[in-house]
Amino acid sequence: MTRVSLSKVSKKFGNVFAARDVELSISKGELFTLLGPSGCGKTTTLRIIAGFEYPDSGQVFFDEEDVTYTKPYERGTAMVFQNYALWPHMSVFDNIAYGLKIKKLPKEEIRKKVLEVLDLVGLRGLESRYPLQLSGGQQQRVALARALVVEPRVLLLDEPLSNLDAKLRVRMREEIRKIQRTLSITTIYVTHDQEEAMSISDRVAIMNQGKILQVGTPQDIYFRPKNTFVATFIGKSTLLQGTVVRKDADNVLVDIGSEIRVLGKLTGDSPLKEGSRAILVIKPEDFLVEPPQEPHNVIEGVVEFSMFLGSFTQLRMSVANQNLKVFVDPKKEVKPGDRFVVYVKIDDVLVFPRESEGEVLEVA
Amino acid sequence: MLVFMIIFALVMFSLFLILPLVETILLPITFTIERLVSGVKTGYSLIELFSDPRLFRTYSTTEPVIVAQIGNTTLVNFIGWDFGVIPNTLIIASIVTSITTLLGLVVAFVMARYEFRGKLIMRVIAYIPLLMTPFVNAYVIKKLFSFDGLFSYIINTVLGIPLKINVDRMFGVILTQSMAFWPIIYLNIYSSMMMIDPSLEEQAENLGAKGFKLFRSITLPLSLPGLAAGAAVVFIFSMEDLGGPIAYGFHDVLSYSIYSNIKAAQNIGEVGAYVGALAIVLLALALSIFFGIKKYVSLKQYAMLSRGGRWMPRVRKPGLVGSLIIYLVILPIMLFTAMPQIGVFVTAFSVRWSRAYPEGFTLDHFANILVNPEVLSGLTNSLRYAAMATALIIVLSLSSAYVAARSKLHTLNEVIDLISTSPLAIPGLAIASGYIIMFTSGLFKDTFLDPLSSYGPWLLVVLAYTIRRSPFATRVIYAGLQQIHVAYEEAAMNLGASRLRTLATIIVPLLGLNVLSGALLAFVYSVAETSVSVTIGAVAAGQKPLTAVMLDFLTGGRLAGLQLAAAMAVLIVVTQLLIILVTNIFLKQRYAFIGV
Repeated sequence: MTRVSLSKVSKKFGNVFAARDVELSISKGELFTLLGPSGCGKTTTLRIIAGFEYPDSGQVFFDEEDVTYTKPYERGTAMVFQNYALWPHMSVFDNIAYGLKIKKLPKEEIRKKVLEVLDLVGLRGLESRYPLQLSGGQQQRVALARALVVEPRVLLLDEPLSNLDAKLRVRMREEIRKIQRTLSITTIYVTHDQEEAMSISDRVAIMNQGKILQVGTPQDIYFRPKNTFVATFIGKSTLLQGTVVRKDADNVLVDIGSEIRVLGKLTGDSPLKEGSRAILVIKPEDFLVEPPQEPHNVIEGVVEFSMFLGSFTQLRMSVANQNLKVFVDPKKEVKPGDRFVVYVKIDDVLVFPRESEGEVLEVA
Repeated sequence: MLVFMIIFALVMFSLFLILPLVETILLPITFTIERLVSGVKTGYSLIELFSDPRLFRTYSTTEPVIVAQIGNTTLVNFIGWDFGVIPNTLIIASIVTSITTLLGLVVAFVMARYEFRGKLIMRVIAYIPLLMTPFVNAYVIKKLFSFDGLFSYIINTVLGIPLKINVDRMFGVILTQSMAFWPIIYLNIYSSMMMIDPSLEEQAENLGAKGFKLFRSITLPLSLPGLAAGAAVVFIFSMEDLGGPIAYGFHDVLSYSIYSNIKAAQNIGEVGAYVGALAIVLLALALSIFFGIKKYVSLKQYAMLSRGGRWMPRVRKPGLVGSLIIYLVILPIMLFTAMPQIGVFVTAFSVRWSRAYPEGFTLDHFANILVNPEVLSGLTNSLRYAAMATALIIVLSLSSAYVAARSKLHTLNEVIDLISTSPLAIPGLAIASGYIIMFTSGLFKDTFLDPLSSYGPWLLVVLAYTIRRSPFATRVIYAGLQQIHVAYEEAAMNLGASRLRTLATIIVPLLGLNVLSGALLAFVYSVAETSVSVTIGAVAAGQKPLTAVMLDFLTGGRLAGLQLAAAMAVLIVVTQLLIILVTNIFLKQRYAFIGV
């Protein structure tokens, strides 16, 4: 088991930062996920860890060893590529055995290890097939087996499930998690799918434009986002803009227009003060149709649009000329044009300073 | 409409490709059967073929290297072996294929995987040997490597070493062909290597492979389709090359034997089964390679799995040793292989070449060829034949490409695809033999298709150009068709357009540039055609195409014949360069050269 840490790692392609002062510390046996939109630099960061790219500055450590400029073939990482990168001219067996042959293991041992790992990924019996004769899910398992069989110091997974259909994706991520736990191998996982990240990871790092914006457990990230980017990237939050009217130790009162004021929770050491522009982030599932016990806001608006989605109904409400996304009980009948009252706990309203527009992810 | 296209393509290929070849094969077989049944020798049969000492010998009549001493100067004469027609052909083709494969592989690997100063220039140099200088390049190499040629001059006079070398006969042919053909393999391997998904190599590195192990286990196997296709083309080209054997007077090879027997036929008025028997051997070798490679390449046609992920070619900077190899070994070899073409240009502008190198500058040769009635006749004939062939090629290639890309009958697609690409692998001399055998006797005797009739060979030459050069256009058009989604056509037909109307209003406009490029390529490669031109095309004096006239100038002992032929080659090269430039600008792709 190996601890991986990155210290002030930066990498530029042309004028674009793919990684910008990236600081990470990944514990032994941890499943750590880099999550972010495409182009955020997560794959580049992974490739720096694998040694396919060298950073412009900064260092990469495996335990105490500086591997920043170690050749990829001397690092002892094993990567599963997005497209699996199975060699079409080799059978399943030869693909998996490749790394062991490089290590010059005796033939018998190679055979034993390959068959063991095939058992682990549930592909025993397919060892003489060729990659093009396998289904997508099977190819994925071969790629995983090929990486696992060399007992790497660090397992690297680059969007490994993005080419599978939705059902298979869910099954495979459970399997990857199970295998990772069994072998307790330090694993770094790259994905743009937040649900995947939440479900599989011990800890998640959210990246955007080459920067790490927040690192934490899935619960941390989900319930305690540190900025609007994280708040909007995770979940399907709704955003309201307004001006700070009053601020005390824990809470902020924000005017969102038309005399409507919403009380929310201050996040971190926020620079907000009276009169400054603020953004309120509320998760649609936190809106309630009955007043709760805890301190709460009451928001009234007009239903503009209602969409039945099975497990809930999604409403778009107009409040102070801003849109509010609300999930309600699907049994409740709501028609467009109705006036409608929703309640939201003060603790569920997160208030952020209004940052540059680029930081805010457009919410559908 | 589709039916008309199918019929047109099938009729053209049956009548002017398949039937002549079948007759070629049948003629000596008929003689063989007659001989076996009645015991009477009625013509040249396969029995003679295999017992003919001109064709097969178990011993070489020459020593490969002869060393002599004159004064204190050592003369080394590299002439190679002579085992008879068929072994000679196979030895030459095998050695040429090995040398060109090795060189092509090394250059392709360096170009595809390394980034270094001067790479662009080197990529351009690699194209120079592909410039078409029919016959003349072989004569230039022969002059460079003779006892009083440039190389002996440098060794003996400039460096003062008492040594002179001469490369001649079989070794001369091998040298000439290797210099000319290696870029074909290089380009095929290069494009294979550029298609390899970088993650396939990165994965191997990630698992600990590096250097030669990485190359051997991943890069090379994944480049095999390109390597195999290129090697097959070179093997076939080597077997049918006439320039080398004519220039070096090495006549005991298949190509020259067929050529000289067809030339003899114009005097006696018919060709014997001997040509047929030789053509069978040539054809059998070429076709077995063609089908072998077709099966192999399609099997290993690794659909390069790109499903997302990054796709930047893996290039790195060479280290010190790598740089030394690139600049001190690879670059000089590449420059060396470009010498014949450079030599042709220099020769065309030089007054004389009587000593080690060409001397004096003059434009006279160009002035002379433009007033020479033979050259003018050859030039206008070639342009006329090529233009007519191009018109036919457009219809034929459009038909076969469209049928192969769009017909829903799977077997038909395959048959059409196979037939329409096969002329790439069928030696022109086999086609020429077939035409002579089929059209000078029986049903076609004295018709306008009979090259020995009073009509002359021009129509047959046009048809031969059409068949031989159509694959160039077919391939470009087929590639274009695959970019056009079938839904465009279905939308038009859904709105009531007929197939012909759809073709005219949707496909042809969208394919316009591909058709134009394909036509231009077919045109220039028709002008440079040699095999049919110097055999069938040469049977009537006034109807000779340009390449036949060039050969006359080179072999006829004419004053400044080499320089005049070089000037004609320059005209062809300039045309070729212009057309390749135009097609590259239009299509932004390297269709022009690849694979041939």
